[in-house]
Amino acid sequence: MLRSLILLPCVCVGSVLTAGCGSADRQASDVQVDIALDPSPPVVGDAQVTLRLTGADGKRLDGAEVRLEGNMNHAGMKPSFANLRETEPGRYAGTLEFTMGGDWFILVTATLPDGRRIEHKTDVPGVDAS
Amino acid sequence: MSLALKQHHAPSRQPAGRAARRAAPLDVLRLPVVGRFLRWRHSRLALQIPMLLVGAVMIAHAFWGPQLAPKNLAALLTWVHFRGLVVLVVLLAGNLFCMACPFLLPRELARRLFSPRWRWPRALRNKWPAIALFVGVLFLYELFDLWSEPWWTGVMIVGYFAAATVVDALFRNASFCKYVCPVGQFNFLSSAMAPLEVAVRDQEVCTGCRTKDCIRGTRAAGPVGKAPRSTTPSGSLPIVQRGCELALFQPRKVDNLDCTFCLDCVYACPHDNVGILARLPAEQLAREGPRSGVGPIERRFDFTVLAAVFTFGALLNAFAMTSPVYVLEQWIAAVTGLRVEWPILAGIFVVALVLEPALLMGAAALWTRRAARTAQSVPAIVKRFARSLVPIGFGVWLAHYGFHFFTGFLTVVPVTQNAVLQSLGSPLLGEPMWQLGGLPENIVYPMEIGFLLLGLIGSWMVAWAIAGQLAPLRTARAFWPWAAVHALLFVSAVWIMSQPMDMRGTFLGG
Repeated sequence: MLRSLILLPCVCVGSVLTAGCGSADRQASDVQVDIALDPSPPVVGDAQVTLRLTGADGKRLDGAEVRLEGNMNHAGMKPSFANLRETEPGRYAGTLEFTMGGDWFILVTATLPDGRRIEHKTDVPGVDAS
Repeated sequence: MSLALKQHHAPSRQPAGRAARRAAPLDVLRLPVVGRFLRWRHSRLALQIPMLLVGAVMIAHAFWGPQLAPKNLAALLTWVHFRGLVVLVVLLAGNLFCMACPFLLPRELARRLFSPRWRWPRALRNKWPAIALFVGVLFLYELFDLWSEPWWTGVMIVGYFAAATVVDALFRNASFCKYVCPVGQFNFLSSAMAPLEVAVRDQEVCTGCRTKDCIRGTRAAGPVGKAPRSTTPSGSLPIVQRGCELALFQPRKVDNLDCTFCLDCVYACPHDNVGILARLPAEQLAREGPRSGVGPIERRFDFTVLAAVFTFGALLNAFAMTSPVYVLEQWIAAVTGLRVEWPILAGIFVVALVLEPALLMGAAALWTRRAARTAQSVPAIVKRFARSLVPIGFGVWLAHYGFHFFTGFLTVVPVTQNAVLQSLGSPLLGEPMWQLGGLPENIVYPMEIGFLLLGLIGSWMVAWAIAGQLAPLRTARAFWPWAAVHALLFVSAVWIMSQPMDMRGTFLGG
């Protein structure tokens, strides 16, 4: 009984450690992501987000599906999400809510028309709480 | 409460409250299901193994999971769930974290390989090492923003396992728990506010006990009709059930200080005379006199400092999560020209954990000395009243950690779902439900104020009892200075909790 109680966690942890972490998605690493926030520096509340996607050749990438996820650096906070709409070729805009003051980061997930996926992280330090 | 506390003033050989405890209606060990489980000798192991499993998953996720704190189980469970649950469980029951502490399992394995030979150094048989580590952890937490660093959180957890294993593999008894573990000291002080205590059921049974197994341990019985064959170097029979490794002799044990709820005394007692008994929270804080394994805490300077660090550290830790701390840091940087954080943070720590307590407690003691016309010295009065800080300190920890826990307890669901998805590549637990959070802040805020009020009332009650012991004829005069200190701490805590949360890891906007 005791032996099996000790073995059980070893097996479970082993499963977690040996599990694969890879993803089958095609990642695009040569795409440049530029984000602008308004107001800047941001304050608690809604912020207008403007995002530009540019390829390695300098051309703007249009037709992408862009989704933002805003998170605080501290664990235990519910993230904010926003889907951006394309306002002109390669330029996307939307509203993201900062629910609390402090350090945030924004995760950008964009899917290009050719199926490539872009994942990008931008730090947003010091969202003003006052 | 005041009646119960006043009973302690009567000189008696019996630890105060024992008579009332004998008639206590609740003994957890006599409850049908929970009691039966806890009476099982392997119940602690059964609680530790799931905790060890969770700890192992946290370590794995800290090093191999996403390095984003809100998506990492190590950061989330350590800084939100573990801290919140520790204080809430203490408030509702007792020091159950130490009971289920997973850090001790590797220690038990290590002890099978290395029998500890040394005794903990006499010079360190006090709370100073743990105080230094407690302050060190608080400082590093702020300096390196550990709440946002899964990898470093994992290093900290591994370090904890390693420290517990090494210390207890080298030194006898529960040296790590009693003298080193900063979390343990936090739990020991906090559980002064717990409604449960491991205590003797009937003092008279202990009076007639000859073996004292609760402290010495139970030795193996020799073969019937034959002289027992010794297997220990001292010539005695081997111990089959250890007694209290923290040197708490049950008949003279008072309060939960230094008690890990390991229940070794329960299993060792041949008379089934140790239970987990209900009691009035904070009641025993007011008691003066010797305590088994601890001594008279009202004369121990290390306990005074521990109580001060516990209380003022609670305020500092909460303050560091609000906007004004960054204004303060920037002001200090502008005045001093410093551009690195650690000296500024060290300065804030010195003010908050040394100067502020010294000034407030010294002034209160001086006022008490004059108002109550007592011959006791100011340091002696400080040491006597330091215990009264513990309830308000616990209230601040409860409000702070309770805030994080209540506003974010459901985030463990999507983070776990995401961990499974990322690890196995399949949503076995479903797609992450990121919309799950916790209670809204406008509901949690009144709870925080309630916790602080409970702490304030507890501190006032303990201070009133101590004042009665110090100056029976001028109790109110001895009490007011400390009541003012507690009120000041309460107002400060309410102000801090009312500030907008501002969880920055960046200094000077960098």
